[in-house]
Amino acid sequence: MKRLLTFVSAFALLAAPAFAQLGNMDAAPKAKSYVVYAAEPQTVAAGKHGVLNLRFHILQGYHVNSHTPKSDFLIPTALTLQPANGITASAPEYPAGTQFAFSFAPNDKLDVYAADFTIKLPVVATAGAHTVEASLKYQACDHASCFPPKTLPVQIVFTAK
Amino acid sequence: MRRALLLFMMAAGISLVLWSGWHNLSERHKAAQQAAMQVTLVPDNAAIASDASTPDSPLRGKPAPAFTLVDLQGKNVSLSDFKGHPLVVNFWGTYCAPCKLEMPWLEEFSHKYAAQGLEIVGVTYDSEVGKDTIAKDTQKLGVTYPILLSTPKAEKDYLSDSEVLPMSFYVDKTGKVIEVTAGLGPKDALEDMVKKTIASGSAQ
Repeated sequence: MKRLLTFVSAFALLAAPAFAQLGNMDAAPKAKSYVVYAAEPQTVAAGKHGVLNLRFHILQGYHVNSHTPKSDFLIPTALTLQPANGITASAPEYPAGTQFAFSFAPNDKLDVYAADFTIKLPVVATAGAHTVEASLKYQACDHASCFPPKTLPVQIVFTAK
Repeated sequence: MRRALLLFMMAAGISLVLWSGWHNLSERHKAAQQAAMQVTLVPDNAAIASDASTPDSPLRGKPAPAFTLVDLQGKNVSLSDFKGHPLVVNFWGTYCAPCKLEMPWLEEFSHKYAAQGLEIVGVTYDSEVGKDTIAKDTQKLGVTYPILLSTPKAEKDYLSDSEVLPMSFYVDKTGKVIEVTAGLGPKDALEDMVKKTIASGSAQ
């Protein structure tokens, strides 16, 4: 019993710094993705025109260019679809952006998505379960800096009934 | 007596584990709060609060890493070409709006402080877009200082694994990096940094 107690005490003393280290490993993760796809199963009527709502979440403090940024040098947010059997998709419909200006250039207005945004995807699909592989290209900035363009893989899962 | 000692050691050990857990949690909360403060978006019409940050760069106080990069005319440009001059090495990207707000300011300072020997070089982070696009952009911005094409080595040496743009390295005439800034700051602050760079190393 005494040996057990000694062992437990020694372990507690030695292990404390190790636990502290483990906890610190994820203390300040580096953000490399700024947009997240909020995947949710959806249903449309089989063989009829339907619309899928693709919801995206932008990490707090960041914004991305809208699909129609006001300058030709800015990279627009754009969804690219891979062909999928039994589905005919029309051009994605993008939401309007909001105006944004960097504080040191208040006259240079940009058109951005600064919160969650939804892209509508019109589809006609045969009955059954479907998966469409897609990707969202975007370029994010915060209040003073910008980050390289990113491509977010998007898997659109829905059922046509 | 021995039993009491053992009980005391156990209690001390368990307390230490609990304390380290609490301390760690508290530090993580502080780090999360700081991270949230650093990425606060300043929307249109909101109070002006943004600022260039001074990242914890390992280069600060160290000799600037040597580079030889190609400019838009295909000519090699090396760090050693600027020996004895105060120098700003400004990493930028064609997709980066704050970079393009800052570059005309750097152009202005390159003329204003030319007599003091100031040199400025722009290093294009997304050089894969091609020289023509870069030349078109810089021409539109009125930039005449050398624009160089970045390489993975230059990015590793200067930016480490950061991908924040703009990022500037202020190199004094002795070749030492005296300051590093990330993001767009006020024009006055940028000019102060330029003056500091010109003044640094003067007495040596």
